[in-house]
Amino acid sequence: MSEHKQINYDNYDPITFVPEPDNHGTKALWKTFVLLTVITIVDILLYFWLPTGMPKNITFIVLGVVKAAFIVYVFMHMTYEKTPLKYSIVAPMIFVCYLIMLILIEADFWNFLNH
Amino acid sequence: MSNTISTEKTWSGGRSPFNVSYGKLMMWIFLLSDAFTFSSLLVGYGAVRYSYPSPPEFKIEVFENVHHMFEEQGGFIETLQHQGIFSDAHWPSPDLVFNHFPFAHGVHLPLFFVSLMTFILIFSSVTMVLAVEAGQRLAKREVTKYMIYTIIGGFAFLGCQAWEWTMFITEGATLVGNPFGPWHFAALFFLVTGFHGFHVFSGVVLNIVVLVNNLGGTYERRGHYEMIEKAGLYWHFVDLVWVFVFTFFYLI
Repeated sequence: MSEHKQINYDNYDPITFVPEPDNHGTKALWKTFVLLTVITIVDILLYFWLPTGMPKNITFIVLGVVKAAFIVYVFMHMTYEKTPLKYSIVAPMIFVCYLIMLILIEADFWNFLNH
Repeated sequence: MSNTISTEKTWSGGRSPFNVSYGKLMMWIFLLSDAFTFSSLLVGYGAVRYSYPSPPEFKIEVFENVHHMFEEQGGFIETLQHQGIFSDAHWPSPDLVFNHFPFAHGVHLPLFFVSLMTFILIFSSVTMVLAVEAGQRLAKREVTKYMIYTIIGGFAFLGCQAWEWTMFITEGATLVGNPFGPWHFAALFFLVTGFHGFHVFSGVVLNIVVLVNNLGGTYERRGHYEMIEKAGLYWHFVDLVWVFVFTFFYLI
């Protein structure tokens, strides 16, 4: 992991500084690819198997978040970044959850007005 | 110089606290802002979708002969199978709207095409991350190879999306109305997939620039292939957004 690497900070220039590359091979990448493909196929199968309704929608959103997490953590190498950077990028997503909550309450009200 | 990293030393200047380069950190922050943009669009879609009732259950067997038939004047004649399926009172069922596949006209293939698009984008994401991995080993020829695969994947996805839009527009969908249900359905579809498609297009352009630089030996002279990682972050983000566009527009 990058924390244990010796980093040369002599003549540190914030604009040109680039840390040593952190190579982890291709095994995890192919595993993630298989996983993403399988989840997508499961998505399609569940679309035709599950009855219409909120539980079905929530299942798809959960599977979507799982796929997104694998893309961010493996493909975008978030696992190998330092903890403060991880939190700086992932934690603000809490605002999106808040927005979803607010907007669903609002949509429920539109529904009430229309029907 | 001591290599012991304490919190005090990490944040007291003279080093990169996150141990990333300036460009990569800025790319992450840009992607965060872009994630907010797409969240707003998708949450807006969710609000409109939630304010309409779900479509009634209606099963059409796969491979059955199904046509979306339309009048010249923009009216909608429903075929036998479609009677009562599409109405302004409820949201349309995506598997009955997006059931076309190239060279299989009139055959009911629900969500087959969009699954293919998803697969293309995921696979181009894999070739991109393989290019990043090759760059970390300073393997210039491999980087070139995988970047070319990624660009081909990007163009394939854009071509699929153009075909999808063409089918949708031919059947009468516009920004202000569509024969499938509430007008929001097509308007939001064009808005969000268009916005995503433009991101894919930008990503392809970025990848081509990176490929040309790599062929010119820019990164070889620079001594590191970090630019591939930055372009890769953007490309994976585009894939990530597609996961949600796919979930919300085609599954829910």
